[in-house]
Amino acid sequence: MSMDTTVEQVEGAVPITILALEGELDASNFQDLIDTVKRLYDDGTRKLIIDLANLRFMASSGLVALHSIVQIMQGQPPLDPEGGWQALHSLGGDAQTEVRLAGPQPAVERVLQRTGLDRMFVVHADRYTAIDAASAAA
Amino acid sequence: MTIETRRTLRIPAELGRVAEVRRLVREVAGACNAPQPCMDDLVQAVDEAATNVIVHGYGGGPGWLDVAAERIDDTIVITLQDEAPVMDPTLYPEPDLSVPPERRMPGGMGIHLMRMATDRLEHAPRPGGGNILTMARRLDPRPKEERS
Repeated sequence: MSMDTTVEQVEGAVPITILALEGELDASNFQDLIDTVKRLYDDGTRKLIIDLANLRFMASSGLVALHSIVQIMQGQPPLDPEGGWQALHSLGGDAQTEVRLAGPQPAVERVLQRTGLDRMFVVHADRYTAIDAASAAA
Repeated sequence: MTIETRRTLRIPAELGRVAEVRRLVREVAGACNAPQPCMDDLVQAVDEAATNVIVHGYGGGPGWLDVAAERIDDTIVITLQDEAPVMDPTLYPEPDLSVPPERRMPGGMGIHLMRMATDRLEHAPRPGGGNILTMARRLDPRPKEERS
C-alpha cells in the first residue's frame, strides 16, 4: 500500500469530515479509498474534504475513485470502474459541494485539469479555506 | 546521440509493483536534473502505460513488464516491453472532454493522460510477441499545454 489515509472530524453546525491522503493514489489502492468513503458515509459523514496536500501522485484510477466518492456522498451507488460511458444524473452545471478538494500539488492539479475532473469539484488552496467554505455553505 | 543515463527494471505484472516503476523513472529524471513538471509527466505516463498492460494486456493474469529509462540528448525516453496480446494505445480515440465530467465515466482517461504527458508516444509489436511502447518527454519545464 503506497498511500496512507487519515480521518479527522470538524465539529460545527454541519460536521465536516477531513480525509487526508498521503503518498501515491494508483490502481493498486483506489478501491480502498472508495471503500473508506463508503464507510464514512455509512457512519454519517455528509460533508467531506479530501486533503491532497501530501498526495504526490494520482493515477487515472484515482480519478475514478474521486468520481465514485461524489456518487457515494450523494447517496448513490459507486460507479463500476469497468463500466462504459454512462449518463449520470445532472448536477445542474455547478460543482457539487458534498466533496471538496484541498491543497493539490501541481502534478495532481494538472491531472484534474487535463481530464476535466476539476469542473466537478471546488478546489481550495488548503484544508483551512475548504473548512471555512464548507462551514459558510452549511 | 548521447546516452548519459540508462536504467532498467523488470517487474511481474502486478498492480502493487507499479510503484517501483514510478520510482525508477523518478530516479532517472532526477539524475538528469529534469524540471519537476517533466518528472511528473514521465511518472504519470509510465504509470498509466504499465497499469494498462497489467489490467487490459495481461487481463490480471501472470506476465512481466520490462521498463528502460534513459536520457537521449534533451529528452528522457522510457521504453516499456511486455508479452501481452498486441494492444496499441496510440490507436484509441480521444475522450470527449466537452461532456461534463458528472455525465461521463472517467475510466479510459489513462491513455489521454499518456498523450498529454509525452512529446512522443509510439507503439510497435515486440518480436516474438507482445508490445514495445516508447514514451519520450523533452526536458522542458513547461507542461505540453503551455507550449505553443
